[in-house]
Amino acid sequence: MLEDQEMSVQEAAAVVQDARARARKELVISTPIVYAAWGLVWLLGYGGMWLSVRGQHPYSGPSGVSIAAVFVLAGIAITTVLAIASKAVAGIDGQSVRHRRVLVMTWAVGYLALLIVGPAISSSVSTRTLAFISFAGPVLLAGLVYILAAALGRYRPAFALGAWLVIIGTSCAWLAPATILATCALAGGGAFLLMAAIETGLRRHGS
Amino acid sequence: MAAETQLDPVIHAPARLRVVVTLASLPDRDNLSFTRLQELLGLTPGNLITHLRKLEDAGYVTTVKTGSGVTARTSVSLSQQGRQALENYTAVLRQLLDSASTNGSSPH
Repeated sequence: MLEDQEMSVQEAAAVVQDARARARKELVISTPIVYAAWGLVWLLGYGGMWLSVRGQHPYSGPSGVSIAAVFVLAGIAITTVLAIASKAVAGIDGQSVRHRRVLVMTWAVGYLALLIVGPAISSSVSTRTLAFISFAGPVLLAGLVYILAAALGRYRPAFALGAWLVIIGTSCAWLAPATILATCALAGGGAFLLMAAIETGLRRHGS
Repeated sequence: MAAETQLDPVIHAPARLRVVVTLASLPDRDNLSFTRLQELLGLTPGNLITHLRKLEDAGYVTTVKTGSGVTARTSVSLSQQGRQALENYTAVLRQLLDSASTNGSSPH
């Protein structure tokens, strides 16, 4: 059956609205959930490390437990984000997919580099420098990746988030290690959570 | 039925309208697999093929077959002409709806 039945103007408008809503739900990655996942990782991860160094005199670095917690939280967030993204982009191919691969690879390679560089130079740099590289490095990297994403035409609202993260990361150069952790937790994690709230509001308004 | 005749007859059919709107939600230069499109729209493969042929004949969609055997994939994308056609269609639709609500009558 060709299904070329007659359709009134009102019915057509309803079809358009329904098809748009369905496509938005099924084919678009839920950015509120992605932002919320990263926001919680940063808030709880950096926050946990900050709690472990509070009152340390002299500063000796976050506890092993708090560092392990960061990796566990990050693992959960990555798994969640990958699951959401895989479902949304299943069957889609083209330029946006290639761009997304570049962004993910940039992020992964960048974080891997930071994980390697930190311990490698730990004995030859000051505690403050090491703290900046280890804690603010990921923030700077995330900021640059979001700016790149915006430049590629993907997630344009993320330019503001990227710029903010670069500002936060850069400002950490003047902060003590414990303050870097608190700043990354609140200003960094908080920014992601704010983006989640903004994107949720935009989606509700748009739908 | 005068109002509906102003609308592009290629697009103005429930299934084809849904195809075009769904494909328009993808970014430029992206395509969607036939299988995923079929799942999203809930059409049978034969039904979808028939509608895609009509849209392709009008130059609104492009279908590309890649691979062979198990890895064979048919991808569907909206052409620039298709995007423009949908824009024109929704613009006319909006005008007709506004006119109907102004006149207080149904454009049947």
